[in-house]
Amino acid sequence: MIEVSGLTKRYRDLTAIEDLSFQVSKGEVLGFLGPNGSGKSTTMRILTGFQPATSGTAKVAGFDVFEKPLEVKRRVGYLPEIPPLYPDMTIKAYLRFVADLKGVPKKQMADEVDRVAQATHVDHVMDRLIANVSKGYKQRVGIAQALIGSPDILILDEPTVGLDPSQILEVRELIRSFKGKHTVILSTHIMQEVVATCDSVLVIARGRLRARDTLEALQEKHPGKSLEEIFLELTSDVRTEPADGKSQAA
Amino acid sequence: MRSAIAIAKKEIHLYFTTPIAYVAFFASSFIGAWFFLSFTSEFQRRSMQFMQFQAPQFLERMNLTEMVAAPLIVNMGLVLAFVIPFLTMRLLAEERKQNTMELLMTAPLRSLDIVAGKFLAGLAILLVIVGIVAIFPYLLSIFGTSDSGSAIEWQTVGAGLLGLFLMGAAFMAIGLFISSLTDSQVVAALITFFVLLLTWVVSWKAGDLEGAGQEVLLYLSSVSHLVPFARGMVNLEDFVYFLSIIVLGLFLTHRSVEARRWA
Repeated sequence: MIEVSGLTKRYRDLTAIEDLSFQVSKGEVLGFLGPNGSGKSTTMRILTGFQPATSGTAKVAGFDVFEKPLEVKRRVGYLPEIPPLYPDMTIKAYLRFVADLKGVPKKQMADEVDRVAQATHVDHVMDRLIANVSKGYKQRVGIAQALIGSPDILILDEPTVGLDPSQILEVRELIRSFKGKHTVILSTHIMQEVVATCDSVLVIARGRLRARDTLEALQEKHPGKSLEEIFLELTSDVRTEPADGKSQAA
Repeated sequence: MRSAIAIAKKEIHLYFTTPIAYVAFFASSFIGAWFFLSFTSEFQRRSMQFMQFQAPQFLERMNLTEMVAAPLIVNMGLVLAFVIPFLTMRLLAEERKQNTMELLMTAPLRSLDIVAGKFLAGLAILLVIVGIVAIFPYLLSIFGTSDSGSAIEWQTVGAGLLGLFLMGAAFMAIGLFISSLTDSQVVAALITFFVLLLTWVVSWKAGDLEGAGQEVLLYLSSVSHLVPFARGMVNLEDFVYFLSIIVLGLFLTHRSVEARRWA
Protein backbone atom coordinates (compact mmCIF):
# COMPACT_ATOMS: atom_id res chain seq x y z
CA MET A 1 0.00 0.00 0.00
CA ILE A 2 2.85 2.35 0.81
CA GLU A 3 6.27 1.98 -0.74
CA VAL A 4 9.06 4.31 0.17
CA SER A 5 12.49 4.00 -1.34
CA GLY A 6 15.60 6.06 -0.86
CA LEU A 7 13.62 8.99 0.51
CA THR A 8 15.78 11.96 1.49
CA LYS A 9 14.75 15.42 2.63
CA ARG A 10 17.24 18.21 3.14
CA TYR A 11 16.57 21.71 4.34
CA ARG A 12 19.48 23.89 3.32
CA ASP A 13 22.25 22.48 5.55
CA LEU A 14 20.04 20.16 7.55
CA THR A 15 19.17 16.60 6.66
CA ALA A 16 15.79 15.68 8.08
CA ILE A 17 15.58 12.18 6.66
CA GLU A 18 18.15 10.23 4.73
CA ASP A 19 17.76 7.29 2.41
CA LEU A 20 14.63 5.99 4.06
CA SER A 21 13.12 2.86 2.53
CA PHE A 22 10.22 0.82 3.85
CA GLN A 23 6.91 -0.72 2.87
CA VAL A 24 3.57 -0.94 4.54
CA SER A 25 1.12 -3.58 3.42
CA LYS A 26 -2.62 -3.23 3.14
CA GLY A 27 -4.50 -3.29 6.40
CA GLU A 28 -1.36 -3.00 8.48
CA VAL A 29 -1.22 -0.68 11.48
CA LEU A 30 2.30 0.63 11.70
CA GLY A 31 3.73 2.42 14.70
CA PHE A 32 6.18 5.08 13.65
CA LEU A 33 8.65 5.61 16.46
CA GLY A 34 11.51 7.98 16.95
CA PRO A 35 12.77 10.66 19.28
CA ASN A 36 11.64 14.25 18.76
CA GLY A 37 13.11 15.67 15.60
CA SER A 38 14.03 12.32 14.11
CA GLY A 39 12.10 12.98 10.91
CA LYS A 40 8.74 11.37 11.66
CA SER A 41 6.65 14.42 10.80
CA THR A 42 8.76 15.16 7.74
CA THR A 43 8.22 11.62 6.44
CA MET A 44 4.48 11.89 7.03
CA ARG A 45 4.32 15.26 5.31
CA ILE A 46 6.05 13.82 2.28
CA LEU A 47 3.70 10.82 2.18
CA THR A 48 0.67 13.11 2.26
CA GLY A 49 2.02 15.34 -0.49
CA PHE A 50 2.36 18.38 1.75
CA GLN A 51 6.10 18.60 1.16
CA PRO A 52 8.25 17.30 -1.64
CA ALA A 53 11.27 15.11 -0.97
CA THR A 54 14.73 16.10 -2.05
CA SER A 55 15.29 12.69 -3.62
CA GLY A 56 13.88 9.19 -3.57
CA THR A 57 10.36 8.05 -4.32
CA ALA A 58 7.22 7.40 -2.34
CA LYS A 59 4.25 5.49 -3.67
CA VAL A 60 0.94 5.51 -1.87
CA ALA A 61 -1.87 3.22 -3.02
CA GLY A 62 0.11 2.60 -6.20
CA PHE A 63 0.45 6.30 -7.09
CA ASP A 64 3.65 8.25 -6.97
CA VAL A 65 3.24 11.10 -4.49
CA PHE A 66 5.15 13.54 -6.69
CA GLU A 67 3.60 12.62 -10.00
CA LYS A 68 -0.01 11.98 -9.03
CA PRO A 69 -0.51 13.99 -5.84
CA LEU A 70 -4.28 14.36 -6.28
CA GLU A 71 -4.79 10.59 -6.60
CA VAL A 72 -2.78 10.07 -3.44
CA LYS A 73 -4.60 12.82 -1.54
CA ARG A 74 -7.97 11.28 -2.42
CA ARG A 75 -6.93 8.10 -0.65
CA VAL A 76 -5.20 9.48 2.40
CA GLY A 77 -6.66 10.86 5.61
CA TYR A 78 -4.09 12.92 7.47
CA LEU A 79 -3.92 14.27 10.99
CA PRO A 80 -0.99 16.70 11.17
CA GLU A 81 1.02 17.23 14.33
CA ILE A 82 -1.03 20.36 15.07
CA PRO A 83 -4.67 19.66 14.20
CA PRO A 84 -5.61 21.97 11.30
CA LEU A 85 -8.69 23.61 12.81
CA TYR A 86 -10.50 26.90 12.28
CA PRO A 87 -11.23 28.31 15.75
CA ASP A 88 -14.09 30.48 14.46
CA MET A 89 -16.06 27.58 13.01
CA THR A 90 -18.36 25.19 14.80
CA ILE A 91 -17.30 21.56 14.76
CA LYS A 92 -20.19 20.70 12.47
CA ALA A 93 -19.40 23.49 9.99
CA TYR A 94 -15.77 22.47 10.03
CA LEU A 95 -16.43 18.78 9.35
CA ARG A 96 -18.85 19.70 6.58
CA PHE A 97 -16.21 21.92 5.04
CA VAL A 98 -13.66 19.10 5.08
CA ALA A 99 -16.23 16.70 3.60
CA ASP A 100 -16.81 19.25 0.84
CA LEU A 101 -13.07 19.53 0.20
CA LYS A 102 -12.73 15.79 -0.01
CA GLY A 103 -15.58 15.57 -2.47
CA VAL A 104 -18.03 13.60 -0.35
CA PRO A 105 -21.31 13.57 -2.35
CA LYS A 106 -23.81 16.15 -1.07
CA LYS A 107 -26.43 13.54 -0.25
CA GLN A 108 -24.10 11.55 1.97
CA MET A 109 -22.57 14.58 3.61
CA ALA A 110 -24.75 14.66 6.73
CA ASP A 111 -24.40 10.91 7.30
CA GLU A 112 -20.65 10.98 6.81
CA VAL A 113 -20.19 13.88 9.23
CA ASP A 114 -22.37 12.08 11.80
CA ARG A 115 -20.41 8.88 11.34
CA VAL A 116 -16.99 10.39 12.00
CA ALA A 117 -18.35 12.52 14.84
CA GLN A 118 -19.73 9.43 16.54
CA ALA A 119 -16.57 7.45 15.97
CA THR A 120 -14.51 10.15 17.68
CA HIS A 121 -17.15 11.01 20.30
CA VAL A 122 -17.59 14.64 19.38
CA ASP A 123 -21.21 14.23 18.31
CA HIS A 124 -22.59 16.00 21.39
CA VAL A 125 -20.58 19.22 20.88
CA MET A 126 -21.19 19.68 17.16
CA ASP A 127 -22.57 23.21 17.51
CA ARG A 128 -19.81 24.59 19.71
CA LEU A 129 -17.12 26.81 18.28
CA ILE A 130 -13.79 25.02 17.97
CA ALA A 131 -12.15 27.90 19.84
CA ASN A 132 -14.28 27.08 22.88
CA VAL A 133 -13.72 23.34 23.24
CA SER A 134 -10.97 21.67 25.21
CA LYS A 135 -7.71 20.41 23.77
CA GLY A 136 -8.98 16.83 23.88
CA TYR A 137 -11.94 17.74 21.69
CA LYS A 138 -9.73 19.65 19.30
CA GLN A 139 -7.50 16.63 18.91
CA ARG A 140 -10.51 14.38 18.33
CA VAL A 141 -11.99 16.77 15.77
CA GLY A 142 -8.62 16.53 14.05
CA ILE A 143 -8.95 12.75 13.97
CA ALA A 144 -12.57 12.99 12.81
CA GLN A 145 -11.43 15.20 9.94
CA ALA A 146 -8.91 12.55 8.84
CA LEU A 147 -11.61 9.86 8.84
CA ILE A 148 -13.98 11.70 6.51
CA GLY A 149 -14.58 9.80 3.31
CA SER A 150 -13.12 6.59 4.86
CA PRO A 151 -9.78 6.88 3.10
CA ASP A 152 -7.86 3.64 2.53
CA ILE A 153 -4.84 5.08 4.25
CA LEU A 154 -4.67 7.00 7.51
CA ILE A 155 -1.59 8.92 8.48
CA LEU A 156 -1.84 10.13 12.05
CA ASP A 157 0.86 12.27 13.59
CA GLU A 158 0.72 11.71 17.35
CA PRO A 159 -3.04 11.11 17.51
CA THR A 160 -3.28 10.84 21.29
CA VAL A 161 -1.41 14.00 22.25
CA GLY A 162 -3.43 16.18 24.60
CA LEU A 163 -5.99 13.55 25.48
CA ASP A 164 -6.79 12.40 28.99
CA PRO A 165 -6.30 8.71 29.89
CA SER A 166 -9.85 7.63 29.13
CA GLN A 167 -9.82 9.47 25.82
CA ILE A 168 -6.49 7.86 24.97
CA LEU A 169 -8.06 4.45 25.53
CA GLU A 170 -10.99 5.40 23.30
CA VAL A 171 -8.75 6.58 20.50
CA ARG A 172 -6.63 3.45 20.75
CA GLU A 173 -9.79 1.40 20.58
CA LEU A 174 -10.78 3.36 17.49
CA ILE A 175 -7.41 2.80 15.83
CA ARG A 176 -7.54 -0.91 16.64
CA SER A 177 -10.89 -1.06 14.88
CA PHE A 178 -9.18 0.14 11.67
CA LYS A 179 -7.04 -2.98 11.58
CA GLY A 180 -7.62 -4.85 8.33
CA LYS A 181 -9.87 -2.09 6.95
CA HIS A 182 -7.49 0.84 6.71
CA THR A 183 -3.76 1.00 6.35
CA VAL A 184 -2.55 3.14 9.22
CA ILE A 185 0.71 4.86 10.02
CA LEU A 186 0.73 6.51 13.40
CA SER A 187 3.59 8.25 15.08
CA THR A 188 4.04 8.26 18.81
CA HIS A 189 6.54 8.33 21.65
CA ILE A 190 4.47 6.12 23.86
CA MET A 191 5.43 2.46 23.91
CA GLN A 192 2.16 1.24 25.38
CA GLU A 193 0.43 2.84 22.46
CA VAL A 194 2.43 0.76 20.04
CA VAL A 195 1.73 -2.41 21.99
CA ALA A 196 -1.94 -1.55 22.25
CA THR A 197 -2.59 -0.60 18.65
CA CYS A 198 0.10 -1.61 16.21
CA ASP A 199 1.02 -4.76 14.31
CA SER A 200 4.50 -3.61 13.57
CA VAL A 201 6.92 -0.81 14.22
CA LEU A 202 9.31 1.34 12.32
CA VAL A 203 11.97 3.09 14.33
CA ILE A 204 13.89 6.02 12.94
CA ALA A 205 16.49 8.22 14.55
CA ARG A 206 18.30 11.18 13.05
CA GLY A 207 16.47 10.60 9.82
CA ARG A 208 17.71 7.05 9.36
CA LEU A 209 15.90 3.76 9.58
CA ARG A 210 16.82 1.82 12.73
CA ALA A 211 14.32 -1.01 12.73
CA ARG A 212 11.32 -2.21 10.76
CA ASP A 213 9.72 -5.30 12.26
CA THR A 214 6.69 -6.81 13.82
CA LEU A 215 6.48 -6.38 17.57
CA GLU A 216 7.15 -10.08 18.17
CA ALA A 217 10.20 -10.18 15.93
CA LEU A 218 11.62 -7.11 17.58
CA GLN A 219 11.14 -8.71 20.98
CA GLU A 220 12.86 -11.89 19.81
CA LYS A 221 15.87 -10.00 18.51
CA HIS A 222 16.38 -8.35 21.88
CA PRO A 223 15.50 -11.07 24.34
CA GLY A 224 14.73 -10.11 27.89
CA LYS A 225 14.35 -6.41 27.21
CA SER A 226 11.27 -4.23 27.41
CA LEU A 227 10.16 -2.24 24.39
CA GLU A 228 11.37 0.94 26.07
CA GLU A 229 14.83 -0.50 26.45
CA ILE A 230 14.87 -1.69 22.86
CA PHE A 231 13.78 1.74 21.69
CA LEU A 232 16.47 3.46 23.75
CA GLU A 233 19.09 1.10 22.43
CA LEU A 234 18.06 1.61 18.80
CA THR A 235 18.09 5.37 19.11
CA SER A 236 20.87 5.67 21.69
CA ASP A 237 23.37 7.65 19.65
CA VAL A 238 20.91 10.53 19.31
CA ARG A 239 20.50 10.98 23.01
CA THR A 240 23.93 12.51 23.25
CA GLU A 241 23.03 15.32 20.88
CA PRO A 242 19.62 16.54 21.90
CA ALA A 243 20.17 20.07 20.61
CA ASP A 244 20.67 18.84 17.10
CA GLY A 245 17.62 16.65 17.36
CA LYS A 246 15.46 19.58 18.36
CA SER A 247 16.57 21.82 15.56
CA GLN A 248 15.53 19.16 13.09
CA ALA A 249 11.97 19.39 14.25
CA ALA A 250 11.69 22.96 13.06
CA MET B 1 -14.46 23.75 -9.06
CA ARG B 2 -16.43 22.25 -6.21
CA SER B 3 -13.43 22.64 -3.92
CA ALA B 4 -13.09 26.28 -4.92
CA ILE B 5 -16.74 26.85 -4.04
CA ALA B 6 -16.27 24.95 -0.77
CA ILE B 7 -13.42 27.28 0.13
CA ALA B 8 -15.39 30.34 -0.94
CA LYS B 9 -18.31 29.21 1.24
CA LYS B 10 -16.01 28.69 4.19
CA GLU B 11 -14.47 32.14 3.79
CA ILE B 12 -17.87 33.81 3.54
CA HIS B 13 -18.98 31.84 6.59
CA LEU B 14 -15.92 33.11 8.47
CA TYR B 15 -16.49 36.69 7.29
CA PHE B 16 -19.88 36.57 8.96
CA THR B 17 -19.08 34.58 12.09
CA THR B 18 -16.29 37.05 12.84
CA PRO B 19 -17.27 40.75 12.87
CA ILE B 20 -15.18 41.60 9.77
CA ALA B 21 -18.02 41.65 7.22
CA TYR B 22 -20.34 43.65 9.47
CA VAL B 23 -17.68 46.21 10.26
CA ALA B 24 -16.83 46.54 6.56
CA PHE B 25 -20.51 47.03 5.67
CA PHE B 26 -21.05 49.49 8.49
CA ALA B 27 -17.97 51.53 7.62
CA SER B 28 -18.84 51.69 3.93
CA SER B 29 -22.46 52.63 4.51
CA PHE B 30 -21.64 55.21 7.19
CA ILE B 31 -18.90 56.94 5.25
CA GLY B 32 -20.91 56.54 2.04
CA ALA B 33 -23.82 58.29 3.75
CA TRP B 34 -21.49 61.05 4.92
CA PHE B 35 -20.26 61.69 1.37
CA PHE B 36 -23.79 61.47 0.07
CA LEU B 37 -25.05 64.07 2.54
CA SER B 38 -22.26 66.50 1.78
CA PHE B 39 -22.67 66.16 -1.99
CA THR B 40 -26.44 66.59 -1.84
CA SER B 41 -26.21 69.64 0.41
CA GLU B 42 -23.58 71.10 -1.90
CA PHE B 43 -25.97 70.47 -4.76
CA GLN B 44 -28.74 72.19 -2.82
CA ARG B 45 -26.55 75.16 -1.91
CA ARG B 46 -25.52 75.70 -5.52
CA SER B 47 -28.99 75.41 -6.92
CA MET B 48 -30.20 78.00 -4.38
CA GLN B 49 -27.35 80.24 -5.43
CA PHE B 50 -28.15 79.96 -9.12
CA MET B 51 -31.79 80.58 -8.40
CA GLN B 52 -30.93 83.72 -6.48
CA PHE B 53 -28.75 84.99 -9.30
CA GLN B 54 -31.43 84.14 -11.79
CA ALA B 55 -29.10 81.99 -13.82
CA PRO B 56 -31.31 79.34 -15.40
CA GLN B 57 -28.62 78.36 -17.92
CA PHE B 58 -26.48 77.07 -15.02
CA LEU B 59 -29.43 75.61 -13.24
CA GLU B 60 -30.31 73.56 -16.31
CA ARG B 61 -26.85 72.08 -16.49
CA MET B 62 -26.92 70.83 -12.93
CA ASN B 63 -27.81 67.20 -12.48
CA LEU B 64 -27.71 64.77 -9.62
CA THR B 65 -25.85 62.05 -11.53
CA GLU B 66 -22.92 64.27 -12.27
CA MET B 67 -22.83 66.20 -9.02
CA VAL B 68 -23.75 63.56 -6.48
CA ALA B 69 -23.55 60.02 -7.82
CA ALA B 70 -20.28 60.34 -9.75
CA PRO B 71 -18.21 61.96 -6.98
CA LEU B 72 -19.75 59.57 -4.48
CA ILE B 73 -18.58 56.59 -6.51
CA VAL B 74 -15.06 57.99 -6.93
CA ASN B 75 -14.79 58.72 -3.21
CA MET B 76 -16.06 55.26 -2.36
CA GLY B 77 -13.09 53.99 -4.33
CA LEU B 78 -10.87 55.53 -1.69
CA VAL B 79 -12.98 53.93 1.04
CA LEU B 80 -12.35 50.59 -0.66
CA ALA B 81 -8.62 51.20 -0.36
CA PHE B 82 -9.16 51.38 3.41
CA VAL B 83 -11.64 48.53 3.76
CA ILE B 84 -10.19 45.91 1.43
CA PRO B 85 -6.89 45.39 3.28
CA PHE B 86 -8.97 44.25 6.24
CA LEU B 87 -10.98 41.89 4.07
CA THR B 88 -7.97 40.28 2.42
CA MET B 89 -5.44 40.26 5.26
CA ARG B 90 -6.54 37.00 6.80
CA LEU B 91 -7.32 35.07 3.62
CA LEU B 92 -3.99 33.28 3.32
CA ALA B 93 -1.94 34.63 6.22
CA GLU B 94 -4.33 33.06 8.72
CA GLU B 95 -4.24 29.66 7.04
CA ARG B 96 -0.52 29.62 7.49
CA LYS B 97 -0.56 30.94 11.02
CA GLN B 98 -3.00 28.34 12.32
CA ASN B 99 -1.53 25.44 10.31
CA THR B 100 -4.70 24.92 8.32
CA MET B 101 -2.69 25.30 5.13
CA GLU B 102 -1.64 21.73 5.84
CA LEU B 103 -5.28 20.67 5.55
CA LEU B 104 -5.80 22.51 2.26
CA MET B 105 -2.51 21.26 0.84
CA THR B 106 -3.20 17.62 1.67
CA ALA B 107 -6.83 17.63 0.53
CA PRO B 108 -7.47 16.60 -3.07
CA LEU B 109 -7.49 20.07 -4.57
CA ARG B 110 -5.19 22.25 -6.60
CA SER B 111 -3.59 25.52 -5.57
CA LEU B 112 -5.79 27.15 -8.18
CA ASP B 113 -8.90 26.06 -6.25
CA ILE B 114 -7.55 27.67 -3.10
CA VAL B 115 -6.78 30.97 -4.82
CA ALA B 116 -10.06 31.03 -6.76
CA GLY B 117 -12.13 30.18 -3.68
CA LYS B 118 -10.56 32.91 -1.60
CA PHE B 119 -10.93 35.49 -4.36
CA LEU B 120 -14.57 34.59 -4.97
CA ALA B 121 -15.37 35.03 -1.29
CA GLY B 122 -13.77 38.47 -1.38
CA LEU B 123 -15.80 39.37 -4.47
CA ALA B 124 -19.02 38.36 -2.72
CA ILE B 125 -18.33 40.81 0.11
CA LEU B 126 -17.29 43.45 -2.41
CA LEU B 127 -20.54 42.97 -4.30
CA VAL B 128 -22.49 43.77 -1.14
CA ILE B 129 -20.44 46.94 -0.59
CA VAL B 130 -21.07 48.06 -4.17
CA GLY B 131 -24.74 47.27 -3.54
CA ILE B 132 -24.67 49.56 -0.50
CA VAL B 133 -23.20 52.34 -2.64
CA ALA B 134 -25.98 51.80 -5.18
CA ILE B 135 -28.58 52.55 -2.52
CA PHE B 136 -27.67 56.26 -2.48
CA PRO B 137 -28.40 57.05 -6.15
CA TYR B 138 -31.48 54.85 -5.80
CA LEU B 139 -32.71 57.12 -3.01
CA LEU B 140 -32.24 60.11 -5.29
CA SER B 141 -34.19 58.43 -8.06
CA ILE B 142 -37.10 57.87 -5.68
CA PHE B 143 -37.32 61.41 -4.40
CA GLY B 144 -35.88 63.43 -7.27
CA THR B 145 -37.28 64.11 -10.70
CA SER B 146 -35.96 65.71 -13.84
CA ASP B 147 -37.21 66.55 -17.30
CA SER B 148 -36.37 63.10 -18.54
CA GLY B 149 -38.26 61.49 -15.67
CA SER B 150 -35.77 59.96 -13.26
CA ALA B 151 -33.32 62.21 -11.46
CA ILE B 152 -30.59 59.68 -12.08
CA GLU B 153 -29.12 58.51 -15.35
CA TRP B 154 -28.85 54.85 -14.49
CA GLN B 155 -26.58 54.05 -17.43
CA THR B 156 -23.97 56.44 -16.12
CA VAL B 157 -24.35 55.29 -12.54
CA GLY B 158 -24.28 51.65 -13.66
CA ALA B 159 -20.98 52.23 -15.44
CA GLY B 160 -19.65 53.89 -12.30
CA LEU B 161 -20.69 50.98 -10.10
CA LEU B 162 -19.11 48.56 -12.56
CA GLY B 163 -15.89 50.56 -12.38
CA LEU B 164 -16.04 50.56 -8.59
CA PHE B 165 -16.50 46.81 -8.58
CA LEU B 166 -13.62 46.27 -10.99
CA MET B 167 -11.37 48.47 -8.92
CA GLY B 168 -12.39 46.63 -5.75
CA ALA B 169 -11.66 43.31 -7.45
CA ALA B 170 -8.23 44.57 -8.48
CA PHE B 171 -7.60 45.71 -4.90
CA MET B 172 -8.72 42.27 -3.67
CA ALA B 173 -6.26 40.53 -5.98
CA ILE B 174 -3.43 42.73 -4.70
CA GLY B 175 -4.46 42.10 -1.08
CA LEU B 176 -4.76 38.36 -1.63
CA PHE B 177 -1.26 38.20 -3.04
CA ILE B 178 0.20 40.19 -0.14
CA SER B 179 -1.66 37.96 2.31
CA SER B 180 0.06 34.95 0.75
CA LEU B 181 3.49 36.36 1.51
CA THR B 182 3.30 36.55 5.28
CA ASP B 183 1.75 34.74 8.18
CA SER B 184 1.05 37.98 10.03
CA GLN B 185 -2.35 39.50 9.28
CA VAL B 186 -1.30 42.92 10.53
CA VAL B 187 1.69 43.01 8.22
CA ALA B 188 -0.50 41.87 5.32
CA ALA B 189 -3.06 44.59 6.03
CA LEU B 190 -0.47 47.34 6.39
CA ILE B 191 1.41 46.48 3.21
CA THR B 192 -1.82 46.11 1.26
CA PHE B 193 -3.04 49.46 2.54
CA PHE B 194 0.27 51.06 1.60
CA VAL B 195 0.14 49.67 -1.94
CA LEU B 196 -3.53 50.57 -2.50
CA LEU B 197 -3.08 54.08 -1.20
CA LEU B 198 -0.02 54.46 -3.38
CA THR B 199 -2.02 53.57 -6.49
CA TRP B 200 -4.47 56.26 -5.41
CA VAL B 201 -2.07 59.13 -4.69
CA VAL B 202 0.41 58.43 -7.47
CA SER B 203 -1.65 60.63 -9.79
CA TRP B 204 -1.23 63.66 -7.50
CA LYS B 205 2.34 63.96 -8.68
CA ALA B 206 1.37 63.67 -12.34
CA GLY B 207 0.61 67.39 -12.56
CA ASP B 208 4.24 68.28 -11.90
CA LEU B 209 5.53 66.14 -14.72
CA GLU B 210 5.26 66.35 -18.46
CA GLY B 211 5.19 63.98 -21.38
CA ALA B 212 5.89 60.31 -20.88
CA GLY B 213 6.47 60.54 -17.12
CA GLN B 214 3.06 62.09 -16.62
CA GLU B 215 1.38 59.51 -18.79
CA VAL B 216 3.01 56.63 -16.96
CA LEU B 217 1.94 57.98 -13.58
CA LEU B 218 -1.59 58.57 -14.79
CA TYR B 219 -1.73 55.10 -16.25
CA LEU B 220 -0.52 53.53 -13.01
CA SER B 221 -2.99 55.46 -10.90
CA SER B 222 -6.12 53.54 -10.01
CA VAL B 223 -8.28 56.61 -9.52
CA SER B 224 -7.58 57.95 -13.01
CA HIS B 225 -9.09 54.73 -14.36
CA LEU B 226 -12.11 54.91 -12.08
CA VAL B 227 -13.08 58.48 -13.00
CA PRO B 228 -14.04 57.68 -16.62
CA PHE B 229 -16.31 54.88 -15.36
CA ALA B 230 -17.95 57.28 -12.91
CA ARG B 231 -18.61 59.69 -15.80
CA GLY B 232 -20.33 56.89 -17.66
CA MET B 233 -17.55 56.02 -20.05
CA VAL B 234 -16.58 52.38 -20.30
CA ASN B 235 -13.21 52.52 -22.04
CA LEU B 236 -11.34 49.44 -23.08
CA GLU B 237 -8.18 50.95 -21.66
CA ASP B 238 -9.59 51.22 -18.12
CA PHE B 239 -11.10 47.78 -18.38
CA VAL B 240 -7.74 46.33 -19.37
CA TYR B 241 -6.02 48.15 -16.52
CA PHE B 242 -8.19 46.61 -13.81
CA LEU B 243 -8.40 43.24 -15.48
CA SER B 244 -4.64 42.98 -15.85
CA ILE B 245 -4.14 43.82 -12.17
CA ILE B 246 -6.64 41.09 -11.26
CA VAL B 247 -4.96 38.51 -13.48
CA LEU B 248 -1.47 39.47 -12.34
CA GLY B 249 -2.48 39.45 -8.66
CA LEU B 250 -4.13 36.04 -8.89
CA PHE B 251 -1.25 34.63 -10.92
CA LEU B 252 1.30 35.81 -8.34
CA THR B 253 -0.85 34.45 -5.51
CA HIS B 254 -1.01 31.10 -7.24
CA ARG B 255 2.77 31.10 -7.70
CA SER B 256 3.26 32.04 -4.09
CA VAL B 257 0.96 29.27 -2.82
CA GLU B 258 2.70 26.76 -5.07
CA ALA B 259 6.11 27.94 -3.90
CA ARG B 260 5.08 27.11 -0.33
CA ARG B 261 4.78 23.50 -1.33
CA TRP B 262 8.38 23.49 -2.38
CA ALA B 263 9.78 25.47 0.51
